[in-house]
Order: sequence, then structure tokens, then C-alpha cells
Amino acid sequence: MVELTLPRNSKLKKGKRYDASNGAKDTRTFKIYRYDSDADDNPRWDEYVVPTDELRPMILDAMLWIKDNVDSTLSFRRSCREGVCGSCAFNINGRNTLACTKGWDEVGGGAIQISPLPHQPVIKDLVTDLSNFYAQYAAIEPYLQTVTAEPQKEWKQSQEDRDKLDGMYECILCACCSTGCPSYWWNSEKFFGPAALLQAYRWIEDSRDEMTGERLDALEDPFRLYRCHTIMNCAQVCPKGLNPAEAISGIKRKLAERAV
Amino acid sequence: MAKDFSTPLARVRRDGAAGEGPGHFIGQRASAVALAILSPLTLIFVLTAAASGPGGVTDMLSTGWGAIVTILFFTAALYHGRLGAQDVIDDYIARQGTRIVLLLANTFFTAALWVAVTVSILKLSFGG
Repeated sequence: MVELTLPRNSKLKKGKRYDASNGAKDTRTFKIYRYDSDADDNPRWDEYVVPTDELRPMILDAMLWIKDNVDSTLSFRRSCREGVCGSCAFNINGRNTLACTKGWDEVGGGAIQISPLPHQPVIKDLVTDLSNFYAQYAAIEPYLQTVTAEPQKEWKQSQEDRDKLDGMYECILCACCSTGCPSYWWNSEKFFGPAALLQAYRWIEDSRDEMTGERLDALEDPFRLYRCHTIMNCAQVCPKGLNPAEAISGIKRKLAERAV
Repeated sequence: MAKDFSTPLARVRRDGAAGEGPGHFIGQRASAVALAILSPLTLIFVLTAAASGPGGVTDMLSTGWGAIVTILFFTAALYHGRLGAQDVIDDYIARQGTRIVLLLANTFFTAALWVAVTVSILKLSFGG
């Protein structure tokens, strides 16, 4: 059943406030979700007041500044710092995005609220357990599959067929789309979610792949695919500007076409 | 409850795909198209019948077209409604047993309503 309220041990408490402004005139407050799954305590909001003249432009820069200068216990994932690896995906001011490509001056005035990706088990602070998300990606078998013997040089593809993959291969698996999808919140164990389905369509549309029918068979399911109701949150939040909803519609269209 | 040691991939793959879904998807769209055509026609019939005073509905249904359009409208509306309710149940009811009971109730309720509506229209249509 849908859970409309947080469980008792997930209710957020007011946390600590760290004023690291050192009397600076221009400051920005970051309100960050803190939780440790190994401790018995409820999650809390900690506030960090930081001087903006010390910060580089992105929210991830500010988070690293806080970790380096204020609170080294703050946990979050990050790697490339340029929107390629998808590690630093958080919910920032109510919207899933990458902290490394979102400027702290782009999100309006007031405190910047940073919480983990929604509806995922939290390991610590902003680090979520994405095992289910990655298993769904693995389940769609995201690699070229053929029956024909491998050619001596390469599998050929026309420019037109290659163009069909644009808008799909760029996905960095940051999970912003899937964890921003209400259908995924309610049925994340069964619904594959926008990211995995976008990647499934990327291989369904690949003219070199010879397992299109088997790929469609694997998605012909009321839960794996058809929980998508084209809510479009996925396209709204994708930091790479992709449209998983369109890809999911493409899979539904292909399934409908082969049924009639 | 016993601890689940299965891997995330095993849990995701489960028993495989059910092999269902396109029928529901096509049915939803087909019934929506049917309703887009039948709703205005039914409305015209109802307004005309209402304007023609007492006995207007019986007169309207006693014409073959009136009865046919009304039965088709209710068939499409009930079918579309059943598919919509099924989506709501599938979306929000996670417990398997509860979901099966609600899905059955949804189907039985729709079927009973369709029989009641159709029999009533036919009865009025044939002057019963």
C-alpha cells in the first residue's frame, strides 16, 4: 500500500547549526539531510552557514568546502565533478539533479536544501543504496546481442540508424529520473523505472542487435513497463536533458504494433 | 520472516515477464476513441429525450439507433473505467492478496453493472 507518511524512525528532526561564516557579509545556508543507518537516531537537518566568497560556483563545490572545512563526517558520493559520472545526484531544493552541474546561485534565495534521492534506502547522509536500481539496469542486458557470427571487422550501421540512438546513449545512470518518478516510488521492486527502460529502448532501437523480440518479451509485463503513466518527471529532472518517457512510449508502441 | 539472501538481480528478474500489457494498453486507447465518438451522440440523445417530455427516454430507446448507441456508450465507458480502476489498484496496492481481491471485485462489479444497464436499456427498448 502507498505510504503517505514517513515511518516513525524516518521522521526528520532539527539538527545542528554550524556557522562557518567567520563574520563574512555574504553567506549562504545549506540545509543537509543527515542520517546514519548504523545508529539508532532519526534523520535530522543540519544547517551550514558558509561564506560565498570562499565557494566555487557549483553546489558540489560548496558541499566539498563544508566537508573539508566544517564537518568531515558529512557523507556523499562524488567523482568526476563535471556531469559525466552521475555520482553526485541528490534532491536539491525539491528537485533531483547533479550537484556538480547545478550552481548554488541557480536555485533561488534562501537556504539550499539537500537530501538523498527520494524513496531509496539511505546508508548514510546523502548516500543511498542503489542496488535495486543497478540490478534493473543489469536485467535489461545492456549490451549488443547477436546470433550471427561476428564479422571480421565490425557490425555496420547506417548513419540514420545510428542517429536513432541519440538521446539515449548519453544516459549516465545518475538515477535522478527513476527516483523522481512516483510510479517508481510505489513499485520500485517491480517497475523497471525510466533509466533502465531508456537503456532497454536504446538496445531495442539498435539496428545491429538481433534480440529485439526477446528484449520486448522481457518487458511485456504490467509492472516492469506499464506502471509508467507518462507523468514526465523523468524528463523534467534529467540533468542530461534526455526524455525517458518518450523512450518508454516507444517500447509501448513497438509492443502494440507487434500485437495487432 | 526468513531473511532474504537472494541477490538484487534475482529479485528484479523474479519469474520473468508476465507477457501481458499491450492488450490493456490498446484497450484503454480504443475505448477512449470510442467514448470520444459515443459520448456526444449519447448526450444528444439524452438532451433530445429530455426535451420531448415524459416518455421521451422510452421513445428514444425504442428507436434502434438510440438503444444501440446507448448500449455501446455504456459498454465503452464501463470497460474504460474497469481498465482505469485496474491501473489504480496495480499502482497503489502492493499486497498481492489484497490486489487480487480488488481486481476480482473490479471485474465482477463492472460485469454486473454492464448486465444491469444492458438489460434495462433492452427492456425499455422493447417496451417492457
